[in-house]
Amino acid sequence: MTLAIILVIAAALALVFILGVAASRSLQISSSASLAGQIQPIDVEAFRVLVDPAEDDYLRRRLSAAEFRVVRRERLRAMAAYIRIAGRNAAVLVRMAQGALTVGDADTAEAARRLVDNALLLRRNAAFALLRIYIALAWPNSGLAAVAVLHGYEQLNGSAMLLGRLQNPAAPVRISATL
Amino acid sequence: MIRQVPVFFAFAILTAVADLTEYATDVIPTVSAATYWRADWANLLIQAVLKFVLVGEIFAHVFGSYESIARLGQLLIRALGVILVFAAAIAAAYASQNSPHGIISGAWLLDQTTFIVESGLLVFIFVFSLYFHLVWDRRLFGISLGLSISSCVHLASWAILGNLGALDPKRMIFVFLNMATYHAVVLMWFYYLLVPSKVTASPKVPLPENNLDVWNRELERLVRP
Repeated sequence: MTLAIILVIAAALALVFILGVAASRSLQISSSASLAGQIQPIDVEAFRVLVDPAEDDYLRRRLSAAEFRVVRRERLRAMAAYIRIAGRNAAVLVRMAQGALTVGDADTAEAARRLVDNALLLRRNAAFALLRIYIALAWPNSGLAAVAVLHGYEQLNGSAMLLGRLQNPAAPVRISATL
Repeated sequence: MIRQVPVFFAFAILTAVADLTEYATDVIPTVSAATYWRADWANLLIQAVLKFVLVGEIFAHVFGSYESIARLGQLLIRALGVILVFAAAIAAAYASQNSPHGIISGAWLLDQTTFIVESGLLVFIFVFSLYFHLVWDRRLFGISLGLSISSCVHLASWAILGNLGALDPKRMIFVFLNMATYHAVVLMWFYYLLVPSKVTASPKVPLPENNLDVWNRELERLVRP
């Protein structure tokens, strides 16, 4: 009977989740007009400094082991904050670009397709990078490669600018504070 | 539509034919009980195979066109499939055998096993697409939503039915619940497949006069960031 109860609870939770997705889908469609306003610009240079291994090496040499762990954790938390915003921006861009996929103009559709792929890649990399950051928070002395996220974000920035220019030459989408 | 979702149409037609055949074996007096249960087993196996192929079709439609996540999705769904099969096998091993006839209790367990794996895979597809904020094709969303609702309700029902005696009068309540759910889902599929969605006109995109230069410059940035 315990097994049956577990299965019934699991099925009920799955059903609630799926109905929730269905409800949120209809809300998404109605609120898709204000997507561009949800993008938060990110200072890519500041993020680049945070993920630079040379900076870590320098701090490791200059600080005691205990001090280094404290500073490293702070830097990792800052990194995670940047990556979460980058991931959220990527999600917004996926929705914006998917809307542009069906536009009759082939150039815009192609730019949109490229942007969707780059944004999905960034979101995937962001998930992996966050996982690594959370692991690194437990072991601050371990190595960490968030460079893939940085590279992906720069590429995404270019794609978003391109799509923005093609859709509205006067007001390109700006997702980086340094551009 | 048939070209877009061929497996779904095969599933819809074959399921209807198989269910009608099973109903015929149930009501024709000359058909023995053993023959009915063999027909039930055949029906369950056909439906299980079709459902898993249909889940594959849904997955391919939702993620197949996105190179950056398609491989990761395939990897994850295969791994989850293996885990779900093991979990369903463990659930079947620990399920109570309330029928003295192996062919009957086996059919119930097969139903439960199918619904555990099916609902798990469908939930994964929804979670994965939700994380990446993918916009679904309306018809595909309707198919997936209906299939998911049906599998979740059937899973809960079969989990309870597996613990009720073969002649327990409460069985009929859950049998009717399953039938009502499936009929509601069929109506949902009709709605999503036959009722056209509201057409929103895409705005005409104004392109700059010198957009080839912009293209070349930005493509350079994409190729060599």
